[in-house]
Amino acid sequence: MSQEQVEILQRALKREKNARKAAEKILEEKSRELYFTSQKLENLLDAKSSELQGVFENIVDAYVVMDLNGKILKFNEAATKLFGYDIDKEEVKIAKLIYKDDFQYAVECFNNLQTTGFFKDYETRVYTKSKEVKWVHVNGSVVFDKNNKPIAAQGIVRDITEERASAERLIESENRLSTLILNLDSGIVLEDENRNIVLTNNKFCELFKINAEPTDLHGKDCVTSSEQNKVLFKDPEGFLNRMNEIDVAKELVIGDELEMIDGTILERNYMPITIGEKSKGFLWTFTDVTLKRTYRKSLEVQKQKYYSIIANMHLGLVEVNTDDEILMINQSFSEMSGYTEEELLGKRGGEIFPVEGGSEIISIENEKRQKGESNSYEIKVNTKQGDIKYWLISGAPNYDINGNVVGSIGVHLDITELKALELQKEKLLLKLEKSNDELQEYAHIVSHDLKSPLRSIDALVSWLKEDNKGTLDETSLKNFELIEATLEKMEQLISDVLEYSSVGTDTNIKAEVDLNKMFSDLTTILYIPKHITVKALNQLPVITGDTTKLQQLFQNLISNAVKFIDKEVGLVVIDFEDLKSHYKFSIKDNGIGIDKQFHDKIFKIFHALNKSKDSTGIGLSIVKKIVDLHEGQIWLESQPKVGTTFYFTLKK
Amino acid sequence: MKTLNILLIEDDMIEVMKLNRATNSLQLNHKITEANNGEDALKILEQKDNLPDIILLDLNMPKINGIEFLKILKSDDRLKYIPTIILTTSNNQRDLLECYKVGVAGYILKPLKYEEYVSKIEKLLSYWSINELITV
Repeated sequence: MSQEQVEILQRALKREKNARKAAEKILEEKSRELYFTSQKLENLLDAKSSELQGVFENIVDAYVVMDLNGKILKFNEAATKLFGYDIDKEEVKIAKLIYKDDFQYAVECFNNLQTTGFFKDYETRVYTKSKEVKWVHVNGSVVFDKNNKPIAAQGIVRDITEERASAERLIESENRLSTLILNLDSGIVLEDENRNIVLTNNKFCELFKINAEPTDLHGKDCVTSSEQNKVLFKDPEGFLNRMNEIDVAKELVIGDELEMIDGTILERNYMPITIGEKSKGFLWTFTDVTLKRTYRKSLEVQKQKYYSIIANMHLGLVEVNTDDEILMINQSFSEMSGYTEEELLGKRGGEIFPVEGGSEIISIENEKRQKGESNSYEIKVNTKQGDIKYWLISGAPNYDINGNVVGSIGVHLDITELKALELQKEKLLLKLEKSNDELQEYAHIVSHDLKSPLRSIDALVSWLKEDNKGTLDETSLKNFELIEATLEKMEQLISDVLEYSSVGTDTNIKAEVDLNKMFSDLTTILYIPKHITVKALNQLPVITGDTTKLQQLFQNLISNAVKFIDKEVGLVVIDFEDLKSHYKFSIKDNGIGIDKQFHDKIFKIFHALNKSKDSTGIGLSIVKKIVDLHEGQIWLESQPKVGTTFYFTLKK
Repeated sequence: MKTLNILLIEDDMIEVMKLNRATNSLQLNHKITEANNGEDALKILEQKDNLPDIILLDLNMPKINGIEFLKILKSDDRLKYIPTIILTTSNNQRDLLECYKVGVAGYILKPLKYEEYVSKIEKLLSYWSINELITV
């Protein structure tokens, strides 16, 4: 190796040595520098730590530090307040704070903490000192010492009890709402902007015959579904078109009606749901209104039916309000009154029609309606043509739904003809009464006028006899006697005719008549020969009638019976039978009897069978007339030479 | 027995004769004044100083009938006190009621038999002859 080469190597080595020395010096300097920096950093860290500690201690949320055995080392003020423990005075273990049901969960979290060094969003329940349970939210981490050895755990604990409660309440009310929607009696579909189903319910599935749970439909496309459902409707295309129309317009639609093939009628509503400015979707509701519609339809049919009855009935119908203003009339009333409906609407019925005090009657009747009374009354009215008519009005109050009287309805019947007959009848009755009276008067006058000459003749005859006493022969005296007897018979005849004509009058004097008393009176008044017995078999009834006439009846029959007895021992027996509505009497004698052919004849006036001195032939006619007056009948059974029984009935 | 001043209002001649004959045969001294109808009777009654004690009145008469006459009588302040007895053939209940309503002192039916008539008149007159009467 050449010197030169050695020299070069030596020089190079020397340069290297110098360079290393220089680098070592720099390193030493840097190292020193680094030490200082690190020294500085450590101080800085300490400062930061204590600074951080201050932050934790002063934060609003609770800050808890515990050792690895779960003993609480530190509570900040908020923690002390939350848990209620003062850890300076008592030792608190974390286990004591954990809610018993959440213990397992706490253990898991703690393990997690040990492996990963932290945990987040741990929500659990804890006990406070006063055993109150609180919901807390915890974020925790492990604390290491300088040598990276875990020495403790720290955590920020936030009281979320209130939050939690309101969240629960929210869930609860959401649940309630969804149950409500689920079970609503209307089918509901809430769809989003893209026409996907967000929410629906049972009723919808039922109405559209979808065999699925409402939740299964969530997310389904309404357009496709409708395409499938349209077959359910009578007008499938109409159903789709209308739906699309509504969807395009996106405006509120109420009360669309859809008719389904099975006859169901659905009412469809559509409403966009917006909260604030924001669209929350579109709500379709479907309600089954079949019942309502058919009900309305049948109501309409009924209404039509009654309307046509009202329109076609032969009775005039008028509806008025509480002021008697006419609200409605039917065709018949228009015909009855001569006015058209237009002419009458709003007019007062009580002012247009009545004559002769009818207006007052109507206002009185209207007052009754206000009180809720119904009745009928007659009024005399004037039609438009000026004809006088009589109407029978049946009025009844008209009520509104709340039961208030809002007027009245009157049914009018034209009774003019009836009334005319009635008036005619009244007139006839009056006339009859008058002519009866006149007849009665006439009978009295005639009888008076006929009797007067008889009296005069009798007086003259007796004067003749008196003035010629002793000079008259036997025959003349006999003839005078005959004149007197004839006069008596004539007088009796006149009296009987008068009596017969009087029987038909004054029938209104009705009273209770005790026939027993009457019978005993009669037996004293009547002439009854010794050989004849007149008796009643039973106690006689008390009947209602005209005393005088009843007495006349019995008197005539009994005296007749007595008169015609030809036997040595005479017997007249009176008896009766109770026949529900009538009494049947019998008067039986053992007299001469009456031949069958005369049974009807004897009741006719002037048909006396025996022209005797004291028989005028009127007695039985009077009897018949009295029986007729008491709505009874008279007949007889007889056997000539054996006896006769007269039967007659009298109404009770 | 008192002698009565009797006013008989009767249109039938024989009836008048009957009363006269009856009083005669009964030997009664009553003074009988006759009027054939109501009008005549009212004329007689105008003589206020010679008024009858009683009036016997028939109902069926021409012109003014008995009841009309009775009403005129009863509306007169003075004449209304004269007892008036109806003597008639009418047994009409209505007449009877009407007469008592207007005011009569009796209502006697004329019987058919003259003997019976005499007997009734005897009783009537003897009754009134024992009565105290209002005199002028």
